[in-house]
This record gives sequence, structure tokens and C-alpha cells, in this order.
Amino acid sequence: MSAAVAAPVRRSTAARRHVLERLAAVGFLLPTLALVLVFCYFPAFRAGYTSLTRWDGFNAPEWVGLENFVQVFADADFRQSAINVAIWTLFGVPLAIIPSFIVAELIFRLRSDRLQYVWRAIFTAPLIIPPVVSVLIWQFLYGPEGPINTVLSTLGLESLTRSWIADPQFALFALIFLGFPWVSAFNVLIFYSGLKAIPREVIEASALDGAGRWRQFFTIEIPLTFGQWKLLLVLSIIGVTQNLTTPLLLTGGGPGNSTLTPVLYMYQGAITYGNYGFGMAVGTILFVVVLALSIFNMRILRTSE
Amino acid sequence: MTATTTPTPLAAATAAETAVGTAARSPRPRLRDLSLPANIVLAVVALLSYVPIYFMVNNALRTGPEMQVAPFALPSAPRWENFAFAWEASGYAYPQTLLIVSVSVLGIAVTTLASAYAFARLRFKEKEIWFYTIFGLLLIPGFITLIPLYVQIVDFGLIGTPWGLVLPYLAGGQALGVVVLRSAIESIPEELFEAAKLDGAGHLWQFVSIAVPLARPLVIALALLNVVGLYGDYVLPSLILQGEGATVSVAITGFTPPAFSPNLDTFNIQLAAFTIASVPIAILVLVLMRYFVSGLSQSAVRL
Repeated sequence: MSAAVAAPVRRSTAARRHVLERLAAVGFLLPTLALVLVFCYFPAFRAGYTSLTRWDGFNAPEWVGLENFVQVFADADFRQSAINVAIWTLFGVPLAIIPSFIVAELIFRLRSDRLQYVWRAIFTAPLIIPPVVSVLIWQFLYGPEGPINTVLSTLGLESLTRSWIADPQFALFALIFLGFPWVSAFNVLIFYSGLKAIPREVIEASALDGAGRWRQFFTIEIPLTFGQWKLLLVLSIIGVTQNLTTPLLLTGGGPGNSTLTPVLYMYQGAITYGNYGFGMAVGTILFVVVLALSIFNMRILRTSE
Repeated sequence: MTATTTPTPLAAATAAETAVGTAARSPRPRLRDLSLPANIVLAVVALLSYVPIYFMVNNALRTGPEMQVAPFALPSAPRWENFAFAWEASGYAYPQTLLIVSVSVLGIAVTTLASAYAFARLRFKEKEIWFYTIFGLLLIPGFITLIPLYVQIVDFGLIGTPWGLVLPYLAGGQALGVVVLRSAIESIPEELFEAAKLDGAGHLWQFVSIAVPLARPLVIALALLNVVGLYGDYVLPSLILQGEGATVSVAITGFTPPAFSPNLDTFNIQLAAFTIASVPIAILVLVLMRYFVSGLSQSAVRL
């Protein structure tokens, strides 16, 4: 009797607990999901949709199919921007990764833990400068009367002085090389934690085998930090391709189109010229390319691991 | 990219090491010692990294003509007026910026912790679908949504209001926070939760009394990352808040010094404004350096 009653009661408490757990899940997740759907996914879909319309931002969008994409691919400015960003990626990504790895490696090899901490702190501190400020300081360093030219003049190299970001030949590289010596606090700390995670036995064994510092560097430290390289490679490619602040503040894409990038072109198309469909077509193309690059990187690096 | 190491191999390694003997014992694993050259190279790189900061602070205290002659020389007599002029022209932006950043960062911390707890501890059917919905955002770069987001904020009538910035910031901070914190909460030993359950604790209490305190260091590290990122953000605020409502990074970019300040020193006054703009983050970094250094690498490991 009691068992016959207990069974359905137990089942119903289990069911009730199940419902309660689902309700709890809804409560815990609701703010995140609402925010993400309204302010991340919806705009992303809207970007895709807008790219298929002609839209000035005010009147109703008019469906035009792939016309914007045809127009973008036929556009000489867009092709120039694609070339620019390719060059930027080619130089900018190694600059974002390698100096930081070298610094992390040097810190890792120090004997004293205390000193290691001090150096990590020293390389973390430049975070205090907001990126906008750093860009504007470099604008002055590159300027016609800036310190780079002053140094060149004192070395007797007046012929080389110029306004580095106003010279079509040099402007793009001036933007790429901005931030010398390119040590990023974030990247240093990531590489450092990767190096720290290398098992002690591996390093000790190689030292017993008489491996020199370069052998250890190439056969242990680089391969065993592959996860970090992969992560930073993907992040840096995304970072370089979506860097809007630097060209927007310094050059506006000029002189000529020498520093025009696709993101800037997207921004100008939509915000400056009010051609939202065209701007979003540029954005969509860029998104597809960046996504493909990220997946490609993951694949390549996974197979070689 | 999962690197939650179980304690056993580590403990085994330490045990083995003590067993192998103290004969060839060194305080650290024996890498070839590079200390002196390494310190020198690090010092040179660090000096070069600090050139822009030095340039900024130093010339913020000088006059235009002085800077023109010798951009890196020290000030003969520090010109504190530059800072007064700079504050005059950009000080208005600080209260609202600090408010926007702190509300956003606190909001991100609370909402991501709650979601991370749900993904780590609750059982519900569509869990992995929802998780990948959030995780997938890490693959959608910010630029693709920039313009439609701006349009949407216009549609919502939030343009020119702090909420027009806070809501997108809250949304933008979700993906990284949820992913990192889920893995952190999952690595909390099951027994702690079991013990709480025996005491009759429901999910809300387990969340508040176990998950939140144990995830705290990581939450602080993520919050610091968010503070630095949001405080320095430029493009979105430049579209959404203009004029008197501008945030610091927009105010110092479109900086016009007060009309009564000396013309020749315009750029130095601007540098003073930049220096002031660096102070909030500088204080944060100095006070919480420990969290920056350890927390950044921890969150990277959990990604």
C-alpha cells in the first residue's frame, strides 16, 4: 500500500525537480540570451539582409539581390583596400606575435621568480595608455616636425625626412609599424603561461641530453606552445582586419587610397555616404574571408600538431 | 584549447623529483642560464615600449616651442597650467564615462556568472545548443555588427543616451565571460556542491555561496580586461554619444583646447589631456597588478 503510493509521489517529485531545474536555467540564462540575441545576432542578420538591399538608413530598404556585391567586386577602391589589408596582415600579424613571444621566452628563462614577476609587470603596465591615445601620439611621432624626422636630421639624413603618414609610398607602412616595439601585454602573458605549462621533466630531460639553448627553443618551447600560437594567430588576424580606429583617426584612408582598408571602406560607405547596402556588402565579404581564414588556420595548425 | 590539468600528474612529478635525489638539485629546471643577456634585452625592449608614454607625460609639462627644439628633453620648469587647460576642455567626460564603464562591467560580471553557472551545473535539454549560440559569437568579429548595431540603437531611440552604449557593451561581454567562467565553475570539486545540497541549498544559494566566491579571481581578471577595453573604445561611442555626452576617448580625440590657452601649446595641452585620460587605468593597473598578471593568463588557458 505504502509502496504503491510512494512510487507515483516519487515520480512526481522527480518531475517537479526537473521542471524546477528548467525554470532555474531560464532564470539564470535569460539576461545573457536576451542581450546576445537583441544586440549581437539580430544586428549580424540585419547586416546580411541589408547587404541585399539599397538603403539610405531612413526610407524603406529596397530589395536589389546581389547588386551590391557585383558593385563591390567591380570597384577599384575596394580592390585597393583588399590589397592594403593583405599587406597589413602579412606584416602586422608577425609583428603582433613574434616580439611578444621573444619577450615571454626571455622572461621565462630568467632564474629568479621574483625577477620574472617584475618583468611581467613592467610589460603589463603600458596597458594604461588607451589605444586612441597611443595612435594619436604616433601621429605626432610620424609628423613632419616629429621626433623621427628630428633624429634623421641630426644624423645628417635630411633627404629622408618626410611626413610619414602623408606620403602615399610610406603611409601604409607607417600605420603597420605603429606601436614599435610591438610588445603586447596580453600576448606576452599568454605565451608566458604557455611556457610555464611545459612539463618540467621535458626540459630537464633535454638538458641532460645536452640540448643547447637554441635546440631547446626550437624543439621544445616553440612546439609545446603551439596552442598559444594558434590562438594568437587567429586573434591577430581578426584584430588586424578589423582595425578601424587607426586609419579612421590618422588618414581616413588617404593619401589617395593608400591606407584604405575594407573595414574603413565599409564604415565610409555606410556612415559617411549613407549607402548602407553597399557598406554591409563590404562587411559581409570581409566576414566570410576572416571566418574562412580562421577555420583554415585551425585546420593547418591542428594537422601539424 | 582545454587545459584543465588534473592534480595527479603534477603531484607525481614533484614526488618523482624529490625521489630522484638532491644531488643535481637546482631551484628551477635546468635551462641554459641566459639571465644577464636576457635582462639586458628585456631592459632595452621595455625602454623602447615606454618611449610614447615618456613622450606624452614629459611634453605635457612643456611648451610648444620647447618641444619643437628637443622633443625628448626634460622640462625646464614644469607647466602645470597645461593640465588645468586640458581638464577645462575634457573633464566633463569623466563622470559619465566612469558610470558607463562601471555599470557595463558589473553587469557583464553578474550576467556571465549566472549563465556560466547554468551551463556548468544545471541539466536542461537544449544546453549545448544555447552554449554554442553564445560561444559562436567569438567567431563574429565586431565590425560586422557595428553599423547595424548603430542603426538599431537609433531605432530604439537610445542614441545620445548612456544606455545606447551600456546595452551593446553588456551584450558584447557575454561570449568570452560565459565560456571562460563555465570552464572555471566546472572545475570546482563536485563535493562542495553535494555538501551544500545536503544542507538543503537550492541552486540560487549554491550559486551565491560556492560558485561566485570560487570564481572570483577569474571574474576580477575578466572585469579588468573589460574595463581596459571599454574605457579605450572609440568607434562605437563616437557614433552614439556626441558633444557634451561624449566618453573620454572621444572627448580627447576631438579635443579643442580652451580659447584663452596659449596657441603655441595646443599640442602640449592635448598631451596633458591624454595623460589625464591614462590615470584611471593606471591606478587600476597599479592597485590590481597581481590580478592582471595572473588572471590574464588564466583566462587564456580556459578559452
